[in-house]
Amino acid sequence: MKTKILDIKNLDVNYETLAGDVVALKEVNLSVREKESLGIIGESGCGKSTLAYTIMDYLPSNGSKFGEINFKGENLLKKSQREMEKVRGNKIAMVHQNPYSSLNPSLTIGAQLDEVTVFHRGFTARQARKASLKAMEDLYMGDPEGVAKRYPHQISGGMQQRICIAMALLCRPDLLILDEPTTALDVTTEIVILDIVRELKEKYDMSMIYISHDIGIINKVSDRISVMYRGEVVETGPRSSIFQHPEHPYTRALINCMPRSGIVKEEARLNTITGYVRRRSTSETGCPFAERCEKKNAVCESEYGMKRRAKDHFSACGRAYADDIADKKLESLKIKTNGESSDKKLLEIKDLFKYYGGPFKKVRALDGISVTLNRNSVLGVVGESGCGKSTMGMTVSGLLKPTKGRILFNGSDISVSYKRRSPETLREIQLIFQNPGRSLNPSFTLEQIIGRPMKKLLGIKSRSERRKRIIEILKKVDLGEEYLNRKATQLSGGEMQRAAVARAFSTSPELLICDEPTSALDVSVQASVLNLLGQLQQESGASYIFISHDLNVINYISDYILVMYLGRICEYGTKDEVMHTPGHPYTAALLSAVPDVDPSLEKEVIRLEGSPPDPTVKIKGCPFAGRCYRKVGSICDTEFPPLRKYSEAHFAYCHRE
Amino acid sequence: MRNILTLLKKNPMAVLGLFIFFIWIMASVFGPSLLRFTYTEMDMDHQMTSPGEFGHLLGTDSLGRDIFARIVYGSRSILTIALMTSLFSSFTGIIIGFSAGYFGGKVDQIFLRIMDIVMAIPPLVLSMVVLGILGGSSIFSLTLIVSIAYTPAMARVARGALLSCKGNEYVEAARIRGESDFYIMFVEILPNTIGPVIVEITARFAYSIMLIASLGFLGVGLQPPTPDWGMMVIENKSIIRVAPWAVLYPSLAIASLVIAISLISDFVSKVLIHEN
Repeated sequence: MKTKILDIKNLDVNYETLAGDVVALKEVNLSVREKESLGIIGESGCGKSTLAYTIMDYLPSNGSKFGEINFKGENLLKKSQREMEKVRGNKIAMVHQNPYSSLNPSLTIGAQLDEVTVFHRGFTARQARKASLKAMEDLYMGDPEGVAKRYPHQISGGMQQRICIAMALLCRPDLLILDEPTTALDVTTEIVILDIVRELKEKYDMSMIYISHDIGIINKVSDRISVMYRGEVVETGPRSSIFQHPEHPYTRALINCMPRSGIVKEEARLNTITGYVRRRSTSETGCPFAERCEKKNAVCESEYGMKRRAKDHFSACGRAYADDIADKKLESLKIKTNGESSDKKLLEIKDLFKYYGGPFKKVRALDGISVTLNRNSVLGVVGESGCGKSTMGMTVSGLLKPTKGRILFNGSDISVSYKRRSPETLREIQLIFQNPGRSLNPSFTLEQIIGRPMKKLLGIKSRSERRKRIIEILKKVDLGEEYLNRKATQLSGGEMQRAAVARAFSTSPELLICDEPTSALDVSVQASVLNLLGQLQQESGASYIFISHDLNVINYISDYILVMYLGRICEYGTKDEVMHTPGHPYTAALLSAVPDVDPSLEKEVIRLEGSPPDPTVKIKGCPFAGRCYRKVGSICDTEFPPLRKYSEAHFAYCHRE
Repeated sequence: MRNILTLLKKNPMAVLGLFIFFIWIMASVFGPSLLRFTYTEMDMDHQMTSPGEFGHLLGTDSLGRDIFARIVYGSRSILTIALMTSLFSSFTGIIIGFSAGYFGGKVDQIFLRIMDIVMAIPPLVLSMVVLGILGGSSIFSLTLIVSIAYTPAMARVARGALLSCKGNEYVEAARIRGESDFYIMFVEILPNTIGPVIVEITARFAYSIMLIASLGFLGVGLQPPTPDWGMMVIENKSIIRVAPWAVLYPSLAIASLVIAISLISDFVSKVLIHEN
């Protein structure tokens, strides 16, 4: 067996807060072996980042730590600040989630990279620059010398993250900690970064800790996996054994809540975990997961503790069974449409343009979009950030006035801003935002938040009448009457998003625009919000425009899928057509980049180089041509591709037959 | 409520501030009716008496007037004016700052430039000029001028607080519900800006006291015989060697009130802004 490079023993971290002491880490035992990649997974608030910060000695001043962190035989917790400076960067390096805030905006990329070797390894300026350029080449960056002269804001997010990784690797650390390095990036960029990370680990013989909330990603990069829950490591084992035979009910539940291919809203509800990750006080004992566990019984308290379940596989509980896995397919759900025919048009978008900015430099956010949405159906809109999907949602909702083009809603033209729309239209179109913490006013109670649209748009003057309706709606979103007087700040993330859904449904809208409604939520909560949205859609017969970057989510909820790129439509079709027989190379690349939950499904990944072109420049040819791997010829660069129809509903814009 | 008590327990300086402020409020409300002397009464037999003699707790000035009585009476006017100015300037400041930030563009530019002009003139100079033109000072004119001098600062804070909330999606949600601009500004946004606004109000309160005292010191404050702390300092400047208490105690009164309010202001900002 390889030697352990990092060995954490009984590590406790507590934070002192106004509300009393909070446990961030409890009796964490972890080890990373040489040349090994350890994945750490768990929901937010489970102590993953705290663990990384503790190793790096980055804890805030109200954090106190006890235990041992042995790195190459030395206890890091016993080291002074000065001694830690020699370890940080040199021996252990870290890459953070948001590359843009990790880079100094006022220094060039080259200067920031050079600084690392000058400071840590005593290089001269010339040596340092040479090393920096070499590091950038190792990360497959074209034109390293050009990039070195640029500032962080002049390169894309994926490039920024590569620079951060290059910076971490410049000192040849023995251990690299990556804290959600791809969470802020698009899927097509993410897959490239993941490849690089895997390759560099082999090349430099380093050990690695990879922290993520996404099982699909952890699956791709780690040899062993540790699952954390409320500050404890509840299960550790080799990757395959964690996925195929999870022992802890939390691990099983976490794997189960991921939306995956083949699970759609007509047939199944996603698995969820009830409740949410609560803060932990110092007095709590026993299994941290007990309150949310389906397998809870009398011995949970007394028999709890890490045990060896198989070779190299340890778990604090062994009650997850193999037959727990199946998503519950419900026969009753198959009766879809409630009466109304779904061929009637609800919304027609005709040649819609939206430009931002002045007369000299226009950002072409929407560059001629035409699409139709039928009654009682869900249109999933997918694409990378900057493709115009949110702009489309905002023009339909009226928050933005389109530059050109028409939006017809129930036959009447609504291509104006919200100020000039009739109260009737305002009532019919509702919006659900990405971040519920920002979309619910923190000063109001739920009764005020949900009651206001009823008063304003439905004209219900009587308070008791409104309250009756609010309670009804709260019940529909699985919140009880006791939530009436709670403020948004007193709710968990999932509860907040439910309240936001309740507000949107309070006026019984015909069209609901959901702009990344689950992106800010944890997987377990995401599953329950998706279930709720799916169920309410089927019950109410409302139509959705569901905007998301996550194809698994889109796959679960949508009837039709619209793929966008650089403000234009790439492909449109029914869900099955787009998911199974994608016509456009971009769609195919997106689909292949989605990390899979099941490690046995190793699919061919299409890697896209570069990033979308500058939206301020008018492109003559196909917008995707610069990154396309299936180009027909020069025609792709000179002419906008024709519409190719694959079936009655399915079409794409591509030169390839 | 219990929350506030536990917070106070951890902040002894805030308790001290509140204690001193409480004493001044009590003194201004009930003090005058409990005094042995009135503020105009001249004890011709005991001019420049040292503190504690002949029933004069803090001594007398050159006219034999009781320093203690004058300080207690003086607290009434200074607290009244400071309270009114901080409320009045925050009211106008919020309206101006909110309109500027909410509507943006030209409205923002015009309001900001006007505020810049007012801010460019030092408050002391501004007040002296205006009071000079108006002739005598009264509680009303002092309140008015100090409010005008401090409105721009309040407007800027209010504008900044509004801008930090304006980007939140609950504002967009209100817009597509067809709410009026007035409703969005003052019902949706205002409650969420209350932290920085209240901190600014308490800070303005302390500044107002200093400005009023300075005006009194320069002789354009409240007119005699109304006792004014700043005026007491300058009146007794000539006898500072023989009767230092006549200068010392009014100065201490100003300092203690300003420090007390500053301590409270620090606490409020800690609780309302930094802890969240």
